[in-house]
Amino acid sequence: MSLKNSLSVMVVDDMSTSRSLILMALEQIGITNIDFCKDGQTALQKIAAKPVHIVISDYNMPGLNGLQLLKALRENKQTSRIGFILVSGKLDKEILSTGKKLGLNNFITKPFDTPQMKNCLQAVVGPL
Amino acid sequence: MSSLDDIKQMFFLECDELLEALNDGLADIEASMPTGALDPEVINAVFRTVHSIKGGAASFGLEAIVRFSHCFETVLDQMRAGKLPPDAENIRILQRCADHLADLVAAGRADQAPDTATSEPLVAQLNGLIGDEGRASAEPVQVPEPEPEPESDDDDLSFPPLAIPLGPEDLAAPAQMLYRIDVTASAELFATGHEPVHLFRELAGLGDLTVRADTAGLPDLETLVPETPYLRWRLELATDSGEEDIREVFEFVDTLATVNIEQVEPETSATIGPASASEAASAPRNPSAESENTPLPLTAAKQSGAAPPKTAAAEASAPAAKGPKSTVRVDLDLVDSLINIVGELVINQSVLTQSFSEANVANRADIGSSLDEYKSLALQIQESVMSLRAQSVKQLFQRMARIVRETSEVAGKSVQFDTEGEDTEIDKTVIERLIEPLTHILRNAIDHGLETAESRLAAGKSETGTVCLSASHRSGRVLIEVSDDGAGIDRKRVFEIAASKGLIAQDAQLSEAEIDRLLFLPGFSTKAAVSDLSGRGVGMDVVQSAIRKLGGRVAITSAPGRGTTFSISLPLTLAVLDGMVVDVAGQTMVVPITAVLETIRPTRDDVHMMGSTAQVIKVRDTLVPIVDLGLAFGYRSCGLTVTELVLLLIETEQGERWALAVDRIIDQRQVVIKSLEGNYGHVPGVAAATILGDGKIALIIDPEETAQMAERDLPAPAPLLTAIGE
Repeated sequence: MSLKNSLSVMVVDDMSTSRSLILMALEQIGITNIDFCKDGQTALQKIAAKPVHIVISDYNMPGLNGLQLLKALRENKQTSRIGFILVSGKLDKEILSTGKKLGLNNFITKPFDTPQMKNCLQAVVGPL
Repeated sequence: MSSLDDIKQMFFLECDELLEALNDGLADIEASMPTGALDPEVINAVFRTVHSIKGGAASFGLEAIVRFSHCFETVLDQMRAGKLPPDAENIRILQRCADHLADLVAAGRADQAPDTATSEPLVAQLNGLIGDEGRASAEPVQVPEPEPEPESDDDDLSFPPLAIPLGPEDLAAPAQMLYRIDVTASAELFATGHEPVHLFRELAGLGDLTVRADTAGLPDLETLVPETPYLRWRLELATDSGEEDIREVFEFVDTLATVNIEQVEPETSATIGPASASEAASAPRNPSAESENTPLPLTAAKQSGAAPPKTAAAEASAPAAKGPKSTVRVDLDLVDSLINIVGELVINQSVLTQSFSEANVANRADIGSSLDEYKSLALQIQESVMSLRAQSVKQLFQRMARIVRETSEVAGKSVQFDTEGEDTEIDKTVIERLIEPLTHILRNAIDHGLETAESRLAAGKSETGTVCLSASHRSGRVLIEVSDDGAGIDRKRVFEIAASKGLIAQDAQLSEAEIDRLLFLPGFSTKAAVSDLSGRGVGMDVVQSAIRKLGGRVAITSAPGRGTTFSISLPLTLAVLDGMVVDVAGQTMVVPITAVLETIRPTRDDVHMMGSTAQVIKVRDTLVPIVDLGLAFGYRSCGLTVTELVLLLIETEQGERWALAVDRIIDQRQVVIKSLEGNYGHVPGVAAATILGDGKIALIIDPEETAQMAERDLPAPAPLLTAIGE
């Protein structure tokens, strides 16, 4: 069974438009095991109940922002090994260097297309 | 899968919500100004809305929105960082930017060219707010660079690839236990109305559940005793809840069923199903992986939507109760067609009721109760469908706040705008069609209603005028009021203008209310020069006709020196109405029940003649003119004796009472409104038509208009009435 089919992904974004754009890209890549939620807190609960391989999260969200979600995941032994991709509106070095310190695996800037999303994912999980 | 176009449409819908939140946030900031106690989360939220709009717009190449929201967001970011005070002037600029952003979004939605001419001065203003330091970041909008290839990037922004662990042990949930539960039901269990499947569903809520029915005990059909339970179930539940929680599920049946709960080692789960280790790994914790053993995977069924039909209803409601309120976006056309169909269903229901009663079978218990049930279900469906169209007036009010801002700026008047009852829900179409008349009334209130600052001060009022927009539910209708604290209607002047324009006779005797109503006459304008604002060649008559088309009425009350109030009364829905079905000279007609205050069977002593034809009835010390509907609509040429008729007492928005005379009251029922205006234009006195149970068409009358129609035929009613009253 290919990596595409077994990879489970959690998409976290408060805006349904950008969530849908990410989901559409993932579906076009051929990833089927996708869950999503609107905020970091829900993501943590969902992941605790059902672990995933990769989290793709927006940076700018009410409640926990993307990096706070990453931090919370890394601090919990059960979820510390989950891959984390940050989606952000612009390339902000400050956010990225903080992210890197927290163990960010990759990032992608909006707007992106499906090949860009695929490249971004492959850099983390290997060829899809 | 949704296409990019679908997502784009979703983006515009989401923009509506974001713009609403943006306006709310700015209003909150404005409200917190006097106290200075501003919650940083409010500015944060405001920033996020603009940021989200920008992000979405970038995905669809909506450059104008991206460019503008970028500047906007930079200023908000400065305010968030405390570098820019949220003072009145700045908030005003931000509000104008929010308005413009809404325009840009609307243009994007309609595929129109954005109004960049308005963007430029606003961008200049925004840039003026940003310090030099901020300007650097606000400068040219960086069309985000393509994200660097992590491999080729040598600086510290590259990321090490992640080795994804795909083994089941890596993904096994931390503290999950596997329980095996054997359930054997007694006959008593079923006899007392319990249903194992409900219990199992509750268990499924605790974790991943598989259910297998042991059918070995099931006998042949010949020997089967229907009331004897033969089935046993083996359940496997992976959960982080304890055994206590499982016992709790069976709490009510513990004497009615044998329940054995056993905790098993996770490894044994692999031996239950024949799934190999690699297969288990490929679909970790998915019960359907064990499907060769034909278990009934409750959770899997839930995910795929393939739940057995019997459980569908419960499945649908269960998740909704758990999570936060979730919504589905539905095409309005779908809702409208649903409403139409439901309208037909309601008609069909009354046709059925009538045919059953004609066939003389309605009193058979079975038919009667099915019919009642059908009626109640039809009613429930109707109510639910109607509520789908209901929307709070909040967005409308926000839009009006913008009108007030713009109008007061052009008019050079300082205006405080208050709103009340923003949560009041009205039919979406009504809300949309209220935009124009409300805009007109508000412009009118600011332009004509409020005095200039000097005259206000001279009159001992505060320099800032107040305009209030409110919405509320009142006895089955929605009441929307626009009031100002201006000078009130100058009745003398209104009269003079109306007389000079030949709208009324120079010597006409009019009550105050009648003079006020002159404002609604076509072509009436009190402002000497047609102003840029309210006088756009349309008068208040346009407002009146727009409101009337919605089945509503508009009324004015005014007190000299204290202000004017426009009251708009609207039906809750445009599709059905509670009607009183009456017989008028052999014609069946419908009177909206909301209009009827009471019904009266008059005695000879109550009725008095006014002149040769007009009659009045004394109702608790007041004289109320009687209008014979048969005469008013020309169904008969000479009036009947009033004592043979039934009177329906109605009250107009202005508080005038009328008694409508009908031959008899037939019934009271819900009728589906079918507009006549498309085919006949506006018929005076007639609001619409409906189809009755027997398939015949009946006119729905507009009681107020009918009364006014009849009033014109009465010989000078107002002064005469007063004379008699005294």
